[in-house]
Amino acid sequence: MILKALGAIFALALLLALTLWAFGIPVLEGFRLMAEGAGADKFAWSRTLVKATPLLLTGLGMVVAWRGGMYNIGGEGQFIVGGLFSATLAELILTRNIATPPILAIPLLLILSALGGAVWAWLAGWLFVRRGVDVVISTILLNFVAIQFLAYAVTGPLREKPDNVPLTRAIPEAYMLWRPDRQMDLHAGVVIAAMMAIVIAIYLYRTKAGFNVRLAGESPRVARANRIDADKMRLQAMLVSGALCGLAGGIEYIGMARQLGTGFSQNWGFLGIPVALLSGLDPLLAMLSALLFGALFAGSENLARFTSAGPTLIYIVQAGAVLGIVALRAFRSRRVIQTPAT
Amino acid sequence: MTLEARRISKAYGSVRALEDVSVAFEPGEIHAVLGENGAGKSTLMNVLSGFARPDSGEALLGGKQIPLGQAHECRRMGIEMIHQHFTLVPEFTVAENLALAQLKSLASRTDINELARSAIEAGQRLGWHLDPSAKVRELSVGMEQRLEILKSLATEAPVIIFDEPTAVLAPDEVEELFRVLRRLRDEGRIVILIAHKLREIMSVADRATVLRLGKWVGSAPVKELDERILTQWMVGDLPTVSRREQPGVPQPFQSFEALTIRGDRGEIAVRNVSFELRRREVLGFGGVDGNGQVELAEYLAGARKSQATTHIRPKNVGYIPQDRQVDGLALNMTVQENMTVVGQRLPELVTGPFLRMRQIKAWATELIRKFDIRVRGPEARVGALSGGNQQKVVVSRALAERPELVVAVNPTRGLDLKATQFVREQLRRASDEGAAVALFTTDLDELFELADRRLFMTGGELREADKAEAMFGSTTP
Repeated sequence: MILKALGAIFALALLLALTLWAFGIPVLEGFRLMAEGAGADKFAWSRTLVKATPLLLTGLGMVVAWRGGMYNIGGEGQFIVGGLFSATLAELILTRNIATPPILAIPLLLILSALGGAVWAWLAGWLFVRRGVDVVISTILLNFVAIQFLAYAVTGPLREKPDNVPLTRAIPEAYMLWRPDRQMDLHAGVVIAAMMAIVIAIYLYRTKAGFNVRLAGESPRVARANRIDADKMRLQAMLVSGALCGLAGGIEYIGMARQLGTGFSQNWGFLGIPVALLSGLDPLLAMLSALLFGALFAGSENLARFTSAGPTLIYIVQAGAVLGIVALRAFRSRRVIQTPAT
Repeated sequence: MTLEARRISKAYGSVRALEDVSVAFEPGEIHAVLGENGAGKSTLMNVLSGFARPDSGEALLGGKQIPLGQAHECRRMGIEMIHQHFTLVPEFTVAENLALAQLKSLASRTDINELARSAIEAGQRLGWHLDPSAKVRELSVGMEQRLEILKSLATEAPVIIFDEPTAVLAPDEVEELFRVLRRLRDEGRIVILIAHKLREIMSVADRATVLRLGKWVGSAPVKELDERILTQWMVGDLPTVSRREQPGVPQPFQSFEALTIRGDRGEIAVRNVSFELRRREVLGFGGVDGNGQVELAEYLAGARKSQATTHIRPKNVGYIPQDRQVDGLALNMTVQENMTVVGQRLPELVTGPFLRMRQIKAWATELIRKFDIRVRGPEARVGALSGGNQQKVVVSRALAERPELVVAVNPTRGLDLKATQFVREQLRRASDEGAAVALFTTDLDELFELADRRLFMTGGELREADKAEAMFGSTTP
């Protein structure tokens, strides 16, 4: 297990080196710049952790759904809808001048974001359970719907002022998540995400519901034979998964972004997929893999600052990681030899 | 040119699928191989066609050794096997599928029509008109089988093995298939037919060989046999008395009136059956596979609905499903997790929504000990266990809840003698302790050994044991 993870990390490093070389950047210098950007000082660490936060939450979302046999690829859409629900509430509070203390507003904003993500994922789950629509297809398509919704909302009903750039109203500082140091981006969302990893680990391995979600994912027929409603459990997996992705959107919104624009999600929902895959669908290991990808993210931003390589680098490395993992899986399942039954 | 199997033995784990089996197949004969499930028919055919390598023994075709365990080489020697599950590509056309079978290597020329021509012509000689450009997924099952047959007829293979070809066919399609079998025989080929429907064998086969529990029982020309002898060969001597020593005093538990249950495809699988389950009694449902037993069992276990469910089903049902690897166990999960499937219903193992992991582990360890499951520990993956140990996991779990009703479907299929005895003992004990037991089994020995009362299922209906005499020979003591 540990060897496998080390192997994967080594392969990623190799891929990174190849990519740097292809971009014409001196490999060692590139690595140095990335390491510096990801962990040289407290600012670098702050960047890494802040990037790791949405990655961990969307990654956890994938872990839960995939464990339940629901191949949710819609983290992106759920992330966006989560942000939108949250922003709608903020808009109501701010325009109607409803006196809401932060101690109430912050949890409400976050709960609403989770709700938004859950609703979006539920749509796909419901389509699967009722109509047999492939979750991969429906969640991918719902991503595009969510992106269009976001574009509509920020240019229409949620736009701050008709003539301004398409952005929602910025929320006041008081409604933002707590920060230990004003000079850094590091916010309390990091702790929430880490807590969620533990909560999800308990859910999957220590509760009846989580157990039945995993059972439904492993074998819906065994579930059925034992009077456990596999469809219900899969729907639940989608709801939890969507809530996590939505929460990622909410935390990004009130932790970092302050306002929504069309570019609200930097593919956080998609990037949760390699995070989940690298963790082997384990919620606790997902913390490590989110940290790794967060560091890659922060590192490549630093690299982009000093060299000609854009932040695209990170996407290449992540895409390489996904392809590698998928290929490995396919290779392994091919080696399964079936003995004919008597 | 004779096909000869000599002293073939083959074991899968601890299950002996074939023991020292020798059979000779002559050209110009339709040779039926019969036996119950698990008798070793398919294993023998897999050996002859190179899909399975025997542990010992040899096979010869026309005096030449068959390269055992090498399916491609066997095909090249002219042994064709037509599988029970079709090996067709649904998205390909008829011609493409036929061509695929002729493809010598990936580098060879690929003129589809050229490659498919001999097979299509073989079809025309049989009077079959298959549209070469039709997609396979649009064909009926009968047509698909014809296509499967044509794939092997394109070659001049001297040996053609049919693995339960009639299982999926409608009656008129069966007749058509038999016409083809006779024709192949008349061409002087060796035709081997695996089957378990006696009537069909009596009407088409020239010679029959019976296997039972991996052993050769007998071979004879069909005209010297009758259904009764074949049945006896297949299932062995019928026990004359129920071996249960002290049947308990049954008490009424639940009765079912005019129950009708639909199968997976919406067809009526169980038609208008009435019966009564009693505590401290094993009610046995006998009969050949596929006559509604699985559907009825699933209904009783609460895993399948019926249109008019008026019965209150007991909450506490222990279910031992037919196929332990599909319905019984999640193979990628651990032994403990597979036990938790039922364990989560036990109040002492949960607190509200939470599982009490320490107690569950102790409970699973105890079950492993009590049922003598050979495994490293509760954390071992169930898929890595042998068949017998896997079944013990299913049985231990089903009985752990102290169920009011136990539903078991072929609970000892594929198990060795010791595991079989153990499972039967457990079912008997559950009954002695007050459970109502519904036992569905195709194994007559098991039916007579375990069941206090016996019913037989045919075509989704129930017959009393004495009315089943015609089918099974003498069944009443």
